[in-house]
Amino acid sequence: MTRSAILEVQNGNLIETLNNLWRQLLEKGLVDALLIPQELPSGINVVQTLVSDVQKLESPNPLSPVMPVNTARIVSQMTKVTPSPKKVGVVLRSCELRALIELVKLKQASLENIVLIGIDCFGTYSVKDYKNLAQDGSSPKDAFIKAVREGKEDPSLRQVCQMCEYPIPMNADITIGLIGIDFEKSILIQASSTEGEAILEALELTDSPEAEVTKRDEAIAKLIEQRTKKRDEILEQTQKDISGIDNLMRTLAPCINCHNCRDVCPLCFCKECFFDSPTFEMESEKYLGWSERKGTIRMPTHTLLFHLTRMSHMVTSCVGCGMCYEACPNEVPVANIFRLVGLNTQKIFDYVPGRSLEDELPVTTYQERELLGVPEKL
Amino acid sequence: MVGAVLVIGAGIGGIKCSLDLAESGFKVYLADQSPFIGGTLAQLDRWFPDNHCGMCKILPIFSRDESSQFCLRRGLYHPNIELLPLSTVSQIDGNTGNFQATLSIKPRGVRKELCVSCDLCAQVCPVEVPSEFNEGLENRKAIYLRNPLAISSGYAIDWGSCTKCGACVEKCPTDAIDLSQEEETRKLDVGAIVLSAGFEEFNPRPWSQYGYKRHPNVITSIQFERMLSASGPTAGEILRPSDNQPPKSIAFLQCVGSRTKERDYCSSACCMYALKEAVLAKEKNPELDTEIFYMDLRAFGKGYYRYYEQAKGEFGVKFTRCRIPTIKQDPATKNLFFTAIGEDGGLVRREFDLVVLSVGQTPSPRFLELGEVLGIELNKWGFCKTQELSPTETSQDGVFVCGSASAPKDIADTLVEASAAACQVSKLLSSQRGQLITTKDYPEELDLSEAEARAAIFLCTCGEEIASMLDMEEMLDFAKGLPGVVYVEQTPYLCQKDALEQVKGKIKEHEVNRVVFAACSDITYEKLFIDAMRDVGLTPSLLELVNFREQLCSINPDHKKQAMEKAKILVAIALERVRTQEPLHLVSQNVEHQALVIGGGLAGLTAALSLAEQGFEVQLAERTAELGGNLRHIFSILEGGDPQALRQNLIKRVEENPLIRLHTETEVIEVSGYAGNFEAVLKDTDSTHEPIKVGAIIIATGGEAYEPNEYCYDQSESVMTQAELEQQLASGKLDVTELGSVVMIQCVGSRDKERPYCSRVCCSQAIKNSLSLKERNPEIDIFVLHRDVMSYGFKEEYYSQAREKGVLFVNYDLDRKPEVTIEGERLIVQTIEPTTGGVLKIEPDLLILSTGIVPNDNNILAQMLNLELTEDGFFKEAEVKFRPVDFVINGIFLCGLAHSPRGITETIAQAQAAAQRAASILSRERLESGRVGSEVNERRCSGCELCVSACPYNARFKDTDKGVVVVIEALCQGCGACVAICPSGAAKLRGFTDKQVFSVMDAVI
Repeated sequence: MTRSAILEVQNGNLIETLNNLWRQLLEKGLVDALLIPQELPSGINVVQTLVSDVQKLESPNPLSPVMPVNTARIVSQMTKVTPSPKKVGVVLRSCELRALIELVKLKQASLENIVLIGIDCFGTYSVKDYKNLAQDGSSPKDAFIKAVREGKEDPSLRQVCQMCEYPIPMNADITIGLIGIDFEKSILIQASSTEGEAILEALELTDSPEAEVTKRDEAIAKLIEQRTKKRDEILEQTQKDISGIDNLMRTLAPCINCHNCRDVCPLCFCKECFFDSPTFEMESEKYLGWSERKGTIRMPTHTLLFHLTRMSHMVTSCVGCGMCYEACPNEVPVANIFRLVGLNTQKIFDYVPGRSLEDELPVTTYQERELLGVPEKL
Repeated sequence: MVGAVLVIGAGIGGIKCSLDLAESGFKVYLADQSPFIGGTLAQLDRWFPDNHCGMCKILPIFSRDESSQFCLRRGLYHPNIELLPLSTVSQIDGNTGNFQATLSIKPRGVRKELCVSCDLCAQVCPVEVPSEFNEGLENRKAIYLRNPLAISSGYAIDWGSCTKCGACVEKCPTDAIDLSQEEETRKLDVGAIVLSAGFEEFNPRPWSQYGYKRHPNVITSIQFERMLSASGPTAGEILRPSDNQPPKSIAFLQCVGSRTKERDYCSSACCMYALKEAVLAKEKNPELDTEIFYMDLRAFGKGYYRYYEQAKGEFGVKFTRCRIPTIKQDPATKNLFFTAIGEDGGLVRREFDLVVLSVGQTPSPRFLELGEVLGIELNKWGFCKTQELSPTETSQDGVFVCGSASAPKDIADTLVEASAAACQVSKLLSSQRGQLITTKDYPEELDLSEAEARAAIFLCTCGEEIASMLDMEEMLDFAKGLPGVVYVEQTPYLCQKDALEQVKGKIKEHEVNRVVFAACSDITYEKLFIDAMRDVGLTPSLLELVNFREQLCSINPDHKKQAMEKAKILVAIALERVRTQEPLHLVSQNVEHQALVIGGGLAGLTAALSLAEQGFEVQLAERTAELGGNLRHIFSILEGGDPQALRQNLIKRVEENPLIRLHTETEVIEVSGYAGNFEAVLKDTDSTHEPIKVGAIIIATGGEAYEPNEYCYDQSESVMTQAELEQQLASGKLDVTELGSVVMIQCVGSRDKERPYCSRVCCSQAIKNSLSLKERNPEIDIFVLHRDVMSYGFKEEYYSQAREKGVLFVNYDLDRKPEVTIEGERLIVQTIEPTTGGVLKIEPDLLILSTGIVPNDNNILAQMLNLELTEDGFFKEAEVKFRPVDFVINGIFLCGLAHSPRGITETIAQAQAAAQRAASILSRERLESGRVGSEVNERRCSGCELCVSACPYNARFKDTDKGVVVVIEALCQGCGACVAICPSGAAKLRGFTDKQVFSVMDAVI
């Protein structure tokens, strides 16, 4: 059962109120360390930091509308070899938390001693846009929060965020609730586990009035509806852009085989990618053989195979965080393609990545009568 | 004592029994009077409850390169089994342990080693007779292949219809046909004999009221099976014989040849196969109207009731309870119609396009003669008589029986008995295990680790067959030009002995270390070619076969140009595969020769003894302080036998057997490891034991009686369960002289929403206790309120007896259950009388509830051993029909009520079967894998365990210290599921590496 509490915002300063919260977590020993984004002094970006000393908690701001890395990767890095021996609080957006749940199922991360702190997400700018906004001298985070309060949708947010229908975190111990809340006055802190409730207890927060929770739920529903509509519009276009091999090749044409999309993907967890393996170290006569047979071949080879293989490996777990698109130097719409295929594939198995640790990965289960609804020709 | 066994009858029971014996170290002669193996099963299409084919699942899992690993409809080979087709036993001398069997072997007329199955002989044969295999739905020739898929068995002459015109002899390109062959006699020394000669389907012709053979659209269930089969005369289409049109409606008539005065037994399998046939027909055409006319729907096996419900609900098969007296035919439309009295007393009038007679199982008339030769008694129906409480023992020592030869039964029960018979033989001959097993000596495999690939391609022309399709000159040139090829040759018949000798010579001469045979079906000749390779010191992994004949000649007779293109590609693929192939050698793992049996009830005791009496050590763990389990509460058996004497005898033998280590009040708390190498920790009331090492585990943890809370059970002393009644009858507590009337209610706690399965034993219990009551006091009025009386097999006769003695059986519906009330001292039972529709009100002195069997809480053990449970909470076997006592996880076996509800004799057979399956592991020195198997590239493995979940054989686990996955070689079957799922390319399949597959793809395009 979820318990909702109210955290008063002091002096209308949301960031400072939250900072106080992070400090309390460390000071009260509720966590031994905190994995949290902090703003760079220049203000042009944020970085993830693992903070053990509360004094070093200088400029934490998980609300900054920018996401340079999917934090699930970092949690995996920290906990794959051995689970965390100490209690670590991890502050995550919904797509990060969902990716982390998938990685746990894929045995690439452990939640032992991890306290999951989820934050409501209004969306993020690309690192480049954020930097440019900051260099203009304005404070993009303040402007963003102001816009959100006024209910404005910023069309320059990342497209994946504009179509993200999971703005609130799932499976968090503690959720920082902002959507539908007048966060100049107060925010909602929700606990969905015993771990989370213990923290609420220790922070001595008072229960929220039921009306606040209802208000938030209504706002969430509205936002999801709006984003789902947006999603369908965008993906309809993507569908057109990649229908048929010619369109698909045209869309992938700017790809330069840098494999950045793979390197930043939270679900591409292989120690060594198949495409970097000796299988693809071919003798020159192979290349010449192909060339002779077809008259000409595109070099480097295997561009399409790379994308399709990566897709077949991770698309049922794809959370649509869009890191792949951020990393692409040539703006190949990989995120939209993966989102589209992911959505369709996940639907078949009634699977939502990150929904639950209990849901088995579609590839690991076999039901005799599955896939009957899949038409032979899509 | 002789370590060899003669198995008579090569149907599925005989094959299974032979494989189990062969796999545990005995030499087996598998004889059949027919020229082919497979028996009735080869004629059937698919099977309930999963509607799949699955015969191949009985094939060996270990040392799989040594035995056939393809469909049993095609054939079978195993190093320890000698097939003796066309053989009948004419004389048996000697006695148990030392028999001499004389076999008369009819001439095949075709020399198997020369026959290339080209079918030219059959094409020129002028004689046409109805095909037995297709049940007369089409004709065959006098020289023929019985089963269209059975290629490795070759052709045979039916001497009865052959006119010896000699046309085939002239046509045969390999001079394989010999019309002058004569009957031979062969004498075999064997220690034991197993009779698995099956049944004959009832011939409904004498039942003239059904018009079989007179009305073309009345067919038998086996004919219908042939129609459903893709290899059948209609290629899987259901067509009315009268007009070759698909029918719109089909009726299935049950109990044709069963449950009559002349044959007062139930054939046990027909209800289920009719259900299956109706469902398969519905799958083909959902618009089809199917209706089953039955007396009792006997869906009593594991999962069968669910299948019945599914047939009714999901597939819309209709069911009507009545026996059809006669079938009439509309002379114009050839439609069939009939009228019968329905359950409700009203008239049932129906018209159908097609009527299928569900024909029963009858004993083969040959049994009379065979019984005399073997010196065994038959029962009054002509089936082989078995000993009380020993379902596979005949009246003759050393002669055992399994399957439908002793009583009608279905595939699952036949296979259980086949393993049980193997177990009884193994016990008898255990001192001779391994004595008669011969292995061929091959030269040591050459070390090719440094050698460059030198390939030879041998092209078979198959006489004219391939040569007429392909330009062989062009093929030769093409082959010569391929990379790494040092020798190319064409031969007319590569399968012939002298051709293979020449091949071996060429391999040596040209120092060839990679070979491609472009010839024929690998199923037919792979063994020959592998043998040739091993003769010259090459591992068979360096051999590739291309099936020119089936993949080119049989398919594309008019497309020579395309055939040529395809042939080149096929050869290029094979060459690429073999060129990039590393030499593979066999891997093996050691075996602990001791078993752990969990549970000390009837099943556990029987299994433990069955292993110990074969010479294996057994650790027997029983949770409670007392042995015997549920057997303690059973005092009589419908078919006879003393359960309490049985229990005492088993306990005595277990306690006295020096090989059995008994642990009472002991639970298994931890198990690790895998087949051949388990480690188990036992804990008793005082302490946790040191871990024990065992090669196999048998689960015999039992089940429980359902505790009723319905029908006023808790409210009156006069309401009791069948077990309580039995107890009171045995102890004499119940005074039967005082009883006026007794009501029994069946299916209490069974076959309902909560427990949708039949408990199988309760109907027998009700009949048994009714007879017992009637015997003590014939005046008692007994009413048995039932839904379907499950008196399958020979239990039917007792059901008849009970009715003759005046026991009234009244049917009720699940949605109109009987009502029981108590008014003062009086017990009132009310139920709807189906024929009148009125309420039948009885005030019995006793109300007996036939309560079913419920599973124990099996979750803890299942989780410990990584086993699955069924939806009903029983343990889930590997496959309900073909691997009924195995688990998906190798080395763990299942018997007794932990598997599903069953009677005492059935439990004994199942426990012996489980023991025998365990013995096939324990009796090996080492567990050997196949050459093709999977490996892990540890550097690349991310430890995501996707492969662990994908592996159907549980051959993979994660080494948590290293964080990578490890393969248990002996368990890996080389299926490649791990390779498909591994995103990192860390899972690798020897013989199908990425490099190989990419090379092959290149060769294709």
